[in-house]
Amino acid sequence: MTHKLLKRSILALGLGAASFTLSACDGVTVGVGYGYDPFYDSMLWNDYYHDVDIDIDVDRPGRPRPPVAKPPARPKPPVAKPPARPRPPVAKPPARPRPPVARPPAARPPIHRPAPRR
Amino acid sequence: MHIRLAAVLPTCAALLLGGTQAVGDTPITYTDQGRALFSFAVPDFWAVRTGGPREIEDTELGDPRAVARVIGVRPVTDDGAWMGFVSPAGVASIDGGLRYLQDIDKFLVKDPDVSETVTTQIGGLPARVIRGTGTREGRGVNFTATVVDLPRDRVAVIIAVLRDGADPAYVDDLNAVFASFRSAQ
Repeated sequence: MTHKLLKRSILALGLGAASFTLSACDGVTVGVGYGYDPFYDSMLWNDYYHDVDIDIDVDRPGRPRPPVAKPPARPKPPVAKPPARPRPPVAKPPARPRPPVARPPAARPPIHRPAPRR
Repeated sequence: MHIRLAAVLPTCAALLLGGTQAVGDTPITYTDQGRALFSFAVPDFWAVRTGGPREIEDTELGDPRAVARVIGVRPVTDDGAWMGFVSPAGVASIDGGLRYLQDIDKFLVKDPDVSETVTTQIGGLPARVIRGTGTREGRGVNFTATVVDLPRDRVAVIIAVLRDGADPAYVDDLNAVFASFRSAQ
């Protein structure tokens, strides 16, 4: 009896798991999606803050109109040129120290060279 | 047919294990400038769409108008039911909310025909419910427009829409959302 119950439990649980595995194949995003949502857009499109003449049978003061005057002109940038860039000093840098002019002594023939035979 | 208990019990166990996940819902809190105003629960397998405060400009008139955050919910795979929430700035009372509704209802449904207006309580707060019918894109629509008086001079405007031919079971879902409505203050 216990063995049979165990077998049936495993079978039932296995079938249940299989059905969930299969149902996972069709994704939840199938369907109409959120591309077109007329009611949402309508709820955005209110006239409450809007003073267009639409038949609204409500006695409510209109919204104050924005001032029609143009905004003041943008301030112009100052025309003065910027001061000239400081020039570098014209003095040349001190000359590089020259190497000592003394030459090495002229090479002399060795004095201990054997003279050619006469 | 004789069904033995021993044969049925394992099936029940399997159904219970899988079935517990279908019960439950997801809380959503509507905030404005960092201040929580109200919350509600979204039914399972419903999609939430949220906006934010912004200005929309009429292309013909060039007149910008302020729009508060609008949160819309609806079944993921069906557009037969829809619910929208907004707490418009500057609307402090139920009467103000009704005036606000009169400004958006012409966009929501055509030829609205109000069948009843009820004063009730939603989430323990005074509310006015307007029920009616209309059409939208050639399809009949049942709508329920609700204004809930929130503390501190705010209101919540809730629109629930059920299109003709929609699954009647969505009525329960819509009512469950109303039942979950709570002020956050």
